[in-house]
Amino acid sequence: MTFGKIIRAVGPPLVFGAIFLGIWQLIVEVFDIAPFLLPAPSAIWSEFLDRSDDIIDATLVTGANALVGLLFGVVFGIAMSFVLMRYQVANELVTPLAVALNAIPIIVLVPVFNNMFSSTSEVPRRLMVTLIVFFIVMVNVAKGLRQVSATHLELLHSYAASPREILVKARIPNAVPYLFTALKIAAPAAVITAFVAEYFGGRQNGLGYSITSNAAASRNAASWAYVIGACALGLIFYLVAVGLEKAVSPSQPQGSTQQPTGGLTPGGVSA
Amino acid sequence: MSVRGSTQSVASDAVVVDRVSMIFNEGKSNEVEALCDVELVICPGDFVSLIGPSGCGKSTLLRLIASLISPTSGSVLVNGKSASQARVEQDYGMAFQQSGLFEWRTVEKNIELPLELKGWSKSRRRQRATEMLELVQLSDFGSHMPWELSGGMQQRVAIARSLAAHPPLLLMDEPFGALDEMTREHMQAELLRICAASETTVVFVTHSIPEAVYLSNRVVVMSARPGRITEIIDVDLGADRDEDTREEATFYGKITEVREALRGAETTDEPRGIEDR
Repeated sequence: MTFGKIIRAVGPPLVFGAIFLGIWQLIVEVFDIAPFLLPAPSAIWSEFLDRSDDIIDATLVTGANALVGLLFGVVFGIAMSFVLMRYQVANELVTPLAVALNAIPIIVLVPVFNNMFSSTSEVPRRLMVTLIVFFIVMVNVAKGLRQVSATHLELLHSYAASPREILVKARIPNAVPYLFTALKIAAPAAVITAFVAEYFGGRQNGLGYSITSNAAASRNAASWAYVIGACALGLIFYLVAVGLEKAVSPSQPQGSTQQPTGGLTPGGVSA
Repeated sequence: MSVRGSTQSVASDAVVVDRVSMIFNEGKSNEVEALCDVELVICPGDFVSLIGPSGCGKSTLLRLIASLISPTSGSVLVNGKSASQARVEQDYGMAFQQSGLFEWRTVEKNIELPLELKGWSKSRRRQRATEMLELVQLSDFGSHMPWELSGGMQQRVAIARSLAAHPPLLLMDEPFGALDEMTREHMQAELLRICAASETTVVFVTHSIPEAVYLSNRVVVMSARPGRITEIIDVDLGADRDEDTREEATFYGKITEVREALRGAETTDEPRGIEDR
């Protein structure tokens, strides 16, 4: 990508963001809005600079939870998708369950997990992230493994290819774009889940806890300062997922192949 | 050459279809009799087209020869072996209406796929792929990805892939059906050149009468529901067919003959117009 292209892609949203912040600042000053109602961007920024060390620590705690859960979820999700592909019975048992989970906000299970482990443990949060990521990856990758083009299958049968050869030559490569689609959904979902899970108690060291505790003490500007950390974390996770996809799969013109569009997101995380 | 009984078939025949019937979903409410008592002998070097209205079972017949499905009754021999044995030994190559190229593989790697499955060494595969690219005149495109090629070029790669293992038999299911008229005529000429160069027997499914007449030395006319062979028309346009052949009286004469055979096959029980493209 040339420098000009980057400017054209990133420029408009940056300009829009700057204008938005400017209007926000102006409204707070002109109408003299109380800081506990809506703090000015300048106030949030100065809080951010004051607390930057603490914000970075909190971001690392939440980020580590999201990352560990993401990795476990991806590994288990891929493993389970192979089981679903291999055994039709498993597919019929598990896939409706995954779809049903789509309608249930399973994040409310965090208090239950908290009771299962000691109060200083990060395990309940990581378990929650793993669960959310697991279903996203499993459903999408299983789809990729199954939905191989009929022509490819006929062709491989005409070569008398064994099931294992069909798996290696057609199913797995076909599932790769589906895995990346899942990752692009799962990476931000992992951050959101790690973050929201802190709202339900447990150790008091992450971004989610810091936001609620500061908000409870009416330190709104401080709350917002931690939100900046949360935004950065979500963005980093998403960009790494996109970067991985770019690095692994060769660039294709848009809409040229049967790339999966969108994906199923069980877990009801829409915060 | 015409339909011969199984008793007269010899081991050197490329394909022997002996009293084959095919019934899908037998015994169920959605039972379909796709083929009824089909007999066909194809000699080495033949270019045989299967033509007929939609649903006449021409693709089914091709898949039976390929052993992608098994007949309800009757038998199919390819190169003197059972069709399934011939499939295991990769005695035939196959091409479909969709090129079916693997989009994550380069053109070269696509052509190498059947050779990979045969366990050929990397250097031997690469050498054969280079030869095949030369044959279909795409030597400069080996390292391209399939989506960078036009539809006609993709179909040429698919043909190169189907011939990569030098099979004696090529089975094609409307391979040019998705191409525009100009590309299509060009591809037909290309196919004749390639088959002559590689001495391949071809079974070619199409619903285009001019395509069948131009390419084949025998046109097998089929009727619908249940599919059966109604007539086999010999065509002799000479080995050096070119664009002028398409304007000759003999070419038109054969087109009329095939069209009338199709119409006869159709009007026996269903007085409808036919597709005569």
